[in-house]
Amino acid sequence: MGKGWCLFFLFWPVAAVASCAMAPLVGWSFPYDNAQAASNLGMRIDGLFYLILIITAIVFVGTQAVLVYALWRGVNNREPRASHVHGNHKLELIWSIIPGAILLFLAIYQMNIWADFRIKKYFPEAAVKAPIAEITARQFEWRFRYPAIGKILQQKPQSDDLYSVNELHVPFGKPVMIQLRSDDVQHSFFMPALRIKQDALPGLQIPVWFEANKPGTYDLVCAELCGWGHYKMKAHVIVEPEDEYQTYLKNLTQQQFYDGLGKVAATEIGTESEATEK
Amino acid sequence: MRVGLSHLILLLLVPLISLAGCEQPQVEFVFSKKTNELMPEAAKPVKKALVEQFGNPFALTQFEGLPTDFGDIQGAVKSVEATGKDQPSIRIQVTGLTDAYHKLQGLPLEWTSGKGQGHVSRIKEYYFETGTIVVDKSAEIDPQPGDTFLVECVRLQFGRDLYNRHCMHCHGMSGEGTGPTSRYLNPPPRDFRLGIYKYTSTKPTSKAQVDDLGRTVKEGIAGTYMPSFKLLTDDEVSAIVNYVIWLSIRGETEKKLVDELFLDYSQKTLAERTSEEGGETRKEVEEELKEYMELDFPDTLEFATSSVSEAWEEANLEDALVIPGTPRVADTPESRERGRLLYLSQKTKCASCHGPQGRGNGTATQDFWTNPATNEKYSNRGLHDIWGNQLPPRDLHRGIYRGGRRPIDTYRRLFAGIKGTPMPAFGGSLSDEELWDMVNYVMSLPYAGNR
Amino acid sequence: MSVLNPSPTGLQPILKPLAHHSPGNFITKYIFSTDHKVIAIQFLFTTLLMMIVGGALALAVRWQLAFPWESMPIVGPWLFAAEGGQISPEFYTMLFTMHATVMIFLVIIPILAGTFGNFLIPLMIGADDMAFPKLNMLSYWFMWPAIACFGMSFTFAGGPAAGWTSYPILADLAQAAPGSGTAQTYWLFGITFIGFSSMMGSINYMTTIINMRAPGMTFFRMPMTIWGLFITAILQAFALPVLTAGGFMQVTDRLLGTCFFYPSGLVINNAAPTVGGGQALLWQHLFWFYSHPAVYIMLLPVMGMVSDMLSCMCRKPLFGYKPMVFSMSAIASLGFIVWGHHMFTSGMNPALGMAFVVATMMIALPSAVKTFNWTATIWGGKLEFNTVTLNCIAFLSMFVVGGLSGIFMAAVPVDVYFHDTYFIVAHFHYVLFGATLFGVFAAIQFWFPKMFGRMMNEKLGKTHFVLTFIGANGTFFPMHFLGMQGMPRRYADPYLHGYLEHLLPMNQFMTISAILMGFAQILLFINIFYSMFWGPKAGRNPWNATTLEWAAPSPPGHGNFDFVPMVYRGPNEYAVVNGDKDFVMQSEKECLPASTTATDDTDITETMI
Repeated sequence: MGKGWCLFFLFWPVAAVASCAMAPLVGWSFPYDNAQAASNLGMRIDGLFYLILIITAIVFVGTQAVLVYALWRGVNNREPRASHVHGNHKLELIWSIIPGAILLFLAIYQMNIWADFRIKKYFPEAAVKAPIAEITARQFEWRFRYPAIGKILQQKPQSDDLYSVNELHVPFGKPVMIQLRSDDVQHSFFMPALRIKQDALPGLQIPVWFEANKPGTYDLVCAELCGWGHYKMKAHVIVEPEDEYQTYLKNLTQQQFYDGLGKVAATEIGTESEATEK
Repeated sequence: MRVGLSHLILLLLVPLISLAGCEQPQVEFVFSKKTNELMPEAAKPVKKALVEQFGNPFALTQFEGLPTDFGDIQGAVKSVEATGKDQPSIRIQVTGLTDAYHKLQGLPLEWTSGKGQGHVSRIKEYYFETGTIVVDKSAEIDPQPGDTFLVECVRLQFGRDLYNRHCMHCHGMSGEGTGPTSRYLNPPPRDFRLGIYKYTSTKPTSKAQVDDLGRTVKEGIAGTYMPSFKLLTDDEVSAIVNYVIWLSIRGETEKKLVDELFLDYSQKTLAERTSEEGGETRKEVEEELKEYMELDFPDTLEFATSSVSEAWEEANLEDALVIPGTPRVADTPESRERGRLLYLSQKTKCASCHGPQGRGNGTATQDFWTNPATNEKYSNRGLHDIWGNQLPPRDLHRGIYRGGRRPIDTYRRLFAGIKGTPMPAFGGSLSDEELWDMVNYVMSLPYAGNR
Repeated sequence: MSVLNPSPTGLQPILKPLAHHSPGNFITKYIFSTDHKVIAIQFLFTTLLMMIVGGALALAVRWQLAFPWESMPIVGPWLFAAEGGQISPEFYTMLFTMHATVMIFLVIIPILAGTFGNFLIPLMIGADDMAFPKLNMLSYWFMWPAIACFGMSFTFAGGPAAGWTSYPILADLAQAAPGSGTAQTYWLFGITFIGFSSMMGSINYMTTIINMRAPGMTFFRMPMTIWGLFITAILQAFALPVLTAGGFMQVTDRLLGTCFFYPSGLVINNAAPTVGGGQALLWQHLFWFYSHPAVYIMLLPVMGMVSDMLSCMCRKPLFGYKPMVFSMSAIASLGFIVWGHHMFTSGMNPALGMAFVVATMMIALPSAVKTFNWTATIWGGKLEFNTVTLNCIAFLSMFVVGGLSGIFMAAVPVDVYFHDTYFIVAHFHYVLFGATLFGVFAAIQFWFPKMFGRMMNEKLGKTHFVLTFIGANGTFFPMHFLGMQGMPRRYADPYLHGYLEHLLPMNQFMTISAILMGFAQILLFINIFYSMFWGPKAGRNPWNATTLEWAAPSPPGHGNFDFVPMVYRGPNEYAVVNGDKDFVMQSEKECLPASTTATDDTDITETMI
């Protein structure tokens, strides 16, 4: 019976490791098609993740194996008494220093990536100079305010600013920065594909930069409990080539200043019937 | 104590028991307050008529003549499973439904050939993967391979499921605006049953267009808890709007029927009529009602349904749209000044509600107004909408435009007013240029400080 | 008064009169008792009851995730009949808020400190009761106002809905969410009451342990259980006032119009913009300053108890007693400087993030050292797989997972991705359920004979263990995958988002596991309540353990020991030659030489020194 229990405690780590090994094959990995991050910063984050995964996998397999083996020996121990050992100073030192060194290494290794992501000094200059939008998170949607074409985003809303909701367009091929704020409670700007997340704190305006490494449509979800509609804050970030982005802004300008008579471009949201000349 | 097999069985049974009750919930559409204030003999036929025409949330009914896209689908019987004589239901393998919506449980199934032609069964269960339908056994039907049928209300059910997932917890099962979340919201969610929608692109006397509702769903209503559902597909949005309008039609039909009967047959009137002064007996009132029901009620019902349907159809014609006569006047300081003077003028009286500077603090917010439905004064000061909620006039400096921030949207608010609210329609009294001047003025207000 | 055989060494025990029950009536003996053992059992029953509540709430959460928007059993038809049983989104926020609140504040912390702390501290250090028995009683009875406040909060607007973390502005302003009004205020009162209860306990434990140890019980002869409880008490004392202060500030924000936590200019629920000047981030700092040590409060007692239990079950001294003590102290002290790792993405200065990373990485080290020490304790031991051992091994095994997943989150860039996803949920459930709760199951089985004088049923215990273990891993391991795929926490309907739609089957699997796990606890309750009255009688030391409590009668009478305890050695002296036995108790003065008679390692009811 004892041996059965040892196998029981062996079985579960094996199942865990097996499920982790097969996870990428069945799609239980990072989201989207090939589990690859859609930004360079994201890929560095993934690299760090895999490094930690390797280290923890080795430790996991090692500790579980030793544990099961110790259990096995313990169950099969026919001596009248266990070994009377109170400790081993050398062993304590070894298994304090080695893990300590690994952890310290990890702590220092990841500093660069964090600094590149969040320390304003290291933001790409081009992005900082021309933030493309102010993102206001509110219960329960994402509202975007772009500056008028050719203008710089001001902190106060301007009469020619362009507004959109739940659909952010971003030019591809260069790093972009947005100003994140909140109207009411805390929200969090989370783009899983790009591996970025930043809480939107009421009272603060927080700059966030990112750069997608391929065009496409990416999910934007809220990652800080903001009330009953927390799960409904579904938005898309559309990364498109510069010319398409400019076309989008032009269309948005046209729609925003539509007076019921001029023609509106095909990307009109909401299917308004074409106006007729009187 | 020995752990026996019985203990383990008990352990497994308990969770299974808790999973029971996974059948279709039994929910009914609610009836309005006024319907419930009718005397029972009057309320019953009204409720019966509504259930016949509209069904219940999980037992939808297709009624021809409504401008709703019910989306019925033809199917045919492939084979009938052999069942025991005492089984209450029949299992049928079907074809023709593979492209349809997967969840057909509860829908009406009208047989179009075979013994049961014309009879309507209800789909008890539907298994999409195997193409199996389960219906109740009945003497009228005897399905054979090759028999055809029509599954009704498929698109409506699709809309209903989307509505229940996204909208119901605020707007309620019947679109009555009292879902569980609604009591915490300010402004409260719309009660669709009046068929009145505030932010439309149509003339003051028309209902809303399908596109208007679609835009509201997709863009949300800024400054309220109505969020943007932009990330639903166009098909999903149109299915939801279809269902919402159907709920409106139901509510309006109910209202028309009840209004016909309320004067003579409400409980209050019954009490008055059978009192000392009235002099009638209850039996006499019931006789009168019975006669009415037999002779006049069918016509009333038909008229109610058709007039509501026609109103909705009319609203979706191009004629109903508000299109400005002239393009927008240039947004110059002069235009804004003209607009400001119009705003303050006696012709428009904007300042009486919106305040002299547009901050929503006009004198009307301090008056006691009369409820047009009951002819009594409201108990608190200020303006109210037709649903009975307190309605502060917009603070025009906020930059929040609930009906949309395009110039045409503001133009339409001025031209047609905001239906269901005290915001009047100026389309008849102001010219296009005047309207555009006011649009320019109003839309410049949020930026008055940061030029 | 029990009659004791003269000890083989010839030394006579110093007898002291043992009052089996203090004079008094039923009320003062069993309801408003000041006897630490009665209070401990009161805590035990209360926390077990609360565990049912917390578990039911969790099952409701899992139901919604597995069968979104379908009629919820029992609750659906009862509360949401008009919607066909479909719960509302704010109900879901209440579910996970109260699940966490009940489990953390009403189950784990009281069962560790209240039940085991109360029961074991005087017994293990040789005292006859706590330093402040009346304060002890008060600490139990303060649980009930807390339970009442939490219960009341359910009735207002459906219950608190801001998460157990109660972040402003959601929690701060009544109009921000249903359940953020009166319900949240009652929740804060509940937290305050349970905080009082914990503080009273912590003062009591510290004083008792420092002042009332038996002669010979030096600090480094205290069992690891006591070390764990002692360090926990210190953590409580230093960290809890910060939470209470923060909670008080939130109460005044919502009731008295202060604005500690919200800035001006917010527009919530179409109300006029707020007048403020506060900072939402301030609450997070105050809250996590307590709540990070809180997680160690929920872990250290169990670590101590498992050390003692493992040592006993393997018949081997604890490997590295002093390093274990220092590790626990290191965990506790480092625990005060890592709170920012809950706030990496919160908008606090990123440079602070760097500082917290280093401390967080370092705090993994003492936990790793402890894991190695436990494994080394087992190595070379003589093992018998009973319920206690199984649960202790499960503790160890699952603690490894919980600890390792923590390293991912300690690396800030990776945490940026995993924060507020199910990866975090996986991590803390592995440490809280996998480690702490299995340790608690082991401790219940281990100390039950001492509490009630009867043994718990082995078969039921093992069956309960297997089902719980399978259920727990089935529920919580896939959460790592969910987190990797970017499924955020606290979502009532994650399948609204295209990239999460395919997660439904996995969630359904987890829900089935959770239901299995939940109903398996019925076996535990049957075991406890049946064995309490009809279990086989236990002697003083059924496990042949060495610590002082096993020298007292089972159950101990009022005054605990029927002799004056004297301590002669450390707590885990196993694998020694002591006559017939392979262990020597802390209160035994000398080891006997090996005997030539056949060994019979059953309990030693009467050979007491």
